Amino acid sequence: MTTLGKNSPKEHDSALLRAVAAGDRRALAELYLGYHRRLARFLSRFTPRYENIEEIINDTFMVVWQNANDFRNASLVSTWIIGIAYRTALKSFRSQKNHADMGSLDDHPEQTVDPTNETEVQDWLQHGLSSLPIEQRLTLELAYHMGHSLEEIAAITDCPVGTVKARMFHAREKLRRSLPALSGAAIESPARIG
Amino acid sequence: MTNNRGAGESDHEEVAGLIPWYVNSSLPDLERLKVDAHLAGCAACRAELFAEQQIFERINGAPAVEYMPAASLKRLQARLDIQQSPTPAMDASGSPAVGSSRVPKQGWKAASIAVMAISISLLLADRWVQFRGQQAAPNYRTVTNSPPRARDEVIRAVFAPTITLVDMQAILEEAQLRIVSGPTEAGVYSLAANSSRPVRASLALLRQHPAVRFAEQTREEPEPGDKP
Repeated sequence: MTTLGKNSPKEHDSALLRAVAAGDRRALAELYLGYHRRLARFLSRFTPRYENIEEIINDTFMVVWQNANDFRNASLVSTWIIGIAYRTALKSFRSQKNHADMGSLDDHPEQTVDPTNETEVQDWLQHGLSSLPIEQRLTLELAYHMGHSLEEIAAITDCPVGTVKARMFHAREKLRRSLPALSGAAIESPARIG
Repeated sequence: MTNNRGAGESDHEEVAGLIPWYVNSSLPDLERLKVDAHLAGCAACRAELFAEQQIFERINGAPAVEYMPAASLKRLQARLDIQQSPTPAMDASGSPAVGSSRVPKQGWKAASIAVMAISISLLLADRWVQFRGQQAAPNYRTVTNSPPRARDEVIRAVFAPTITLVDMQAILEEAQLRIVSGPTEAGVYSLAANSSRPVRASLALLRQHPAVRFAEQTREEPEPGDKP
């Protein structure tokens, strides 16, 4: 593996990407291994099939390999790579129409959820997330699963901050409608906040 | 009074929009303090915060599957090896791009000329063989005899018509197979084993891949207890 000295993770990523731009395949492998776990865990929230996950990750790093020369340090390397993965995943999910196949919440209007049963709540949340339009779901998962800031998500998705806020707003509205148990608990337990 | 209420509503909307990033602790200090101050006097935002925290905790608390990256990296490296052949590259949006490959343009030109020359030669040779064949062989074909089997062939397979060369190569590499002939008019490839791995195992790998439409073993392999 390529060793580029002991510096911060951001500097290390930048150094690796410069090496990739120069055609260093060992640097690409190091970058790949550094991001694989994070990307695989993120993508596994959308598809259970590892071959789909691997295809998206490998397509992402093919783009990284081919376009490393074009990186101009306008953002962090991590934001750039996750942005490529975002677009690759978006394209893949749209073509597979996974979300359309999963049905919508309106297909099960009679179901209720017991807020004290964690498994039920988890299942219902997963169902609610699956019913979101893919851009809204990705925005929400980038914030809640990956922990990205508003500005980072705007850079990753190549959208204005206002668009990110709007997507998140609509995702939350829809989830709130699908998860009355959580909203009800919120009203009954305001003391937990603040 | 109206202005104050307007300012308050505007403040409320702004804070409500920031709650997800307050929850994931990524807000800059200044904005975080602003949200803190607003939450102290807004029950609706506190309820909103609570609901978002529930979702955040459950998304983060969901069990995660761990995948080993080594095999995936190997397949990426195989794709990079194949990339030396002239195939379209992709740009940062994941779309095909022209001229962004790492192979120098002059190299492409020479490679293209060589490929064209070989293709023309093969075409001419094929035409010549067909012409000679038509002269020598009867103009009919029986339906009871199978076409001659390629030497070393162990599997016949048909791939999805949309499969790329790169994807096909990756599948074959994973199954440790190589093309010995094909595709036929029906799109059938004859495949030979690249290793001592049991053919059944390679066949199973092929069959589980969605881009493989059909795969069949053409040569029985000896059972472990059979005499050679």
